[in-house]
Amino acid sequence: MSNRLCYVCEGGDCTEMGSGDLFDKLRDLVKEFDPDEERIKIRRYPCFGACEHGVNVTLYPDKVFYSEVTEDDIPSIAAHIKGEGEAPEHLTGKCEPDVEEIIWDMLDSPY
Amino acid sequence: MSSVDLEAKIPNNVGLRANKRLTMALEKWQPKFLDWWKTVGPSDFNEDQIYLRTAVGVGQGGWAHFDYVKMPDYRWGIFMADGPDDRKIHFGDNMGNDAWHTVPGEFRNRLRRLIVTQGDTEPASVEQQRMLGHTCPSLYDLRSLFQVNVEEGRHLWAMVYLLQTHFGADGRDEAEALLERNSGDIDNPRILEAFNYPVTNWLDFFCFTTFMDRDGKYQLSSLAESSFDPLARTTQFMLAEEAYHLQTGENGVGRIIKRTGEIMAEDKDPRQEGAIPLDMIQRYCNFWFTGSMDLFGGEDSTNAAEAFAMGLKGRYRESDGIYKDPKALNAEYRLEVPTDDGKLEEKDIPLRRAMNAVLLDAYIADCTRICQRWNRELKKLGVTEEIKLPNRKFNRQQGVYSGYRFNPEGELIDEATWNKNRDTWLPTQADREYVDSCMIKVTEPGKFANYIAPPTKGPNKQPVDFEYVKFH
Ligand code: FES
Repeated sequence: MSNRLCYVCEGGDCTEMGSGDLFDKLRDLVKEFDPDEERIKIRRYPCFGACEHGVNVTLYPDKVFYSEVTEDDIPSIAAHIKGEGEAPEHLTGKCEPDVEEIIWDMLDSPY
Repeated sequence: MSSVDLEAKIPNNVGLRANKRLTMALEKWQPKFLDWWKTVGPSDFNEDQIYLRTAVGVGQGGWAHFDYVKMPDYRWGIFMADGPDDRKIHFGDNMGNDAWHTVPGEFRNRLRRLIVTQGDTEPASVEQQRMLGHTCPSLYDLRSLFQVNVEEGRHLWAMVYLLQTHFGADGRDEAEALLERNSGDIDNPRILEAFNYPVTNWLDFFCFTTFMDRDGKYQLSSLAESSFDPLARTTQFMLAEEAYHLQTGENGVGRIIKRTGEIMAEDKDPRQEGAIPLDMIQRYCNFWFTGSMDLFGGEDSTNAAEAFAMGLKGRYRESDGIYKDPKALNAEYRLEVPTDDGKLEEKDIPLRRAMNAVLLDAYIADCTRICQRWNRELKKLGVTEEIKLPNRKFNRQQGVYSGYRFNPEGELIDEATWNKNRDTWLPTQADREYVDSCMIKVTEPGKFANYIAPPTKGPNKQPVDFEYVKFH
């Protein structure tokens, strides 16, 4: 199983912005080329603290923090996960760096 | 996918219909629960129609139904998250073995204790908050309070289900005892000290849901990793509901801070406007944050090591595979500990013994994020003062720092310095009286007491001025 990890926020604000459907759609697209999670695990995450920029999606260890993700962006995120293309730039750099740092700190756990 | 039975006397997706004995035991407990609710649950309001969310399934997105309901008629159900039947244990000494669907004899007492301790916090918080409805700052907030209360009641049901299903007569006795202990009762208090603190005003309530319920999130998250599959799946679903409680707190304190900031930005004194000054809010945060840290248990704990080794409690999001060593055998955790000669020194302890500290680290990072969010709001208003989380050593009653005095920056201090500064760090009687004096009841839809800013939106896409409570 892969150590690469994609979190889709399921906090209150992101959920209201449709993160549940985006999660399903992304997971289904990724399953097409990675049915056994050998390349990446897609999981829900409670809240990153960037609620005003939802829907938020992260990629680790790439350390890419996507914000304001809509349904239209999901195919390009899936393509990037697959290795076909860059991370969609218009979705990055929207939230404060200290908010991003918190999630990377947790995932960089020394344990 | 489990099938949901909403027509049953106790709505559930755990196949109660097929288990007559268990159904009878739970139906026998149900009137006692309702008695408890009416006696020590929310004072009054039981005849009013509240716009509440009720769990009706476990699928993502469509798991909840919103409608007006009288609280005693709320459909408290038993739900577990769906999961694979062939789940494997993913951490600890039994890693790779099948997860347990029944309780292994050797872990019975410990598992029962874990479930009882978690279960005890659920009714405790309802009892602590029972008088708050009488001073609600708005209908929106009144509804939020009751939403939190009924769902804590449902979480009690979840734990009682586990006790009655898996622990026989002992479990039934424990289920009774959960309704007999009472928050703040001198003779029969709730198990954890912080669940006996009074919650007398809405700043307390929002701090409670921000900090204490967030401790609950981390405890539930570690149980959600459990090798005992029914416990793991039960707590996974509880986490979905708990998220709303945390948001209620985080947004609630945030709205109080915002209102104070708005008044400060107009060069006015919050006290003259019936709002709560930032230094007072800071003291409340200090109190509730430090009390919540105590709930994690000792930073150096053989108990925690055993619970991890046995596979009863995992680390936060253990199943995401984010930790390098799922057995946690080959690493150490560096802990700062006070020494007998009044200094601090770093000590490496085996990682397993530091499981409470590792969970606490994740909690503190989460609380740091919240503070940053509140401060961004202040900054937007042009206010330079900030809310700061105190250091983890400050005001601790449990763990390696208890019995020592630290200032909020985490420096070891003597008793005289503590006594001199205590009232600038923690809420005073005068603070409590002042905050209580701000608690003005507002029940006109869309109107808010002057110490709290309105939310940006309502639940289930309703407008903020929606009639969230219809009084009888
Ligand atoms: S709700 Fe998604 S980042 Fe907070």
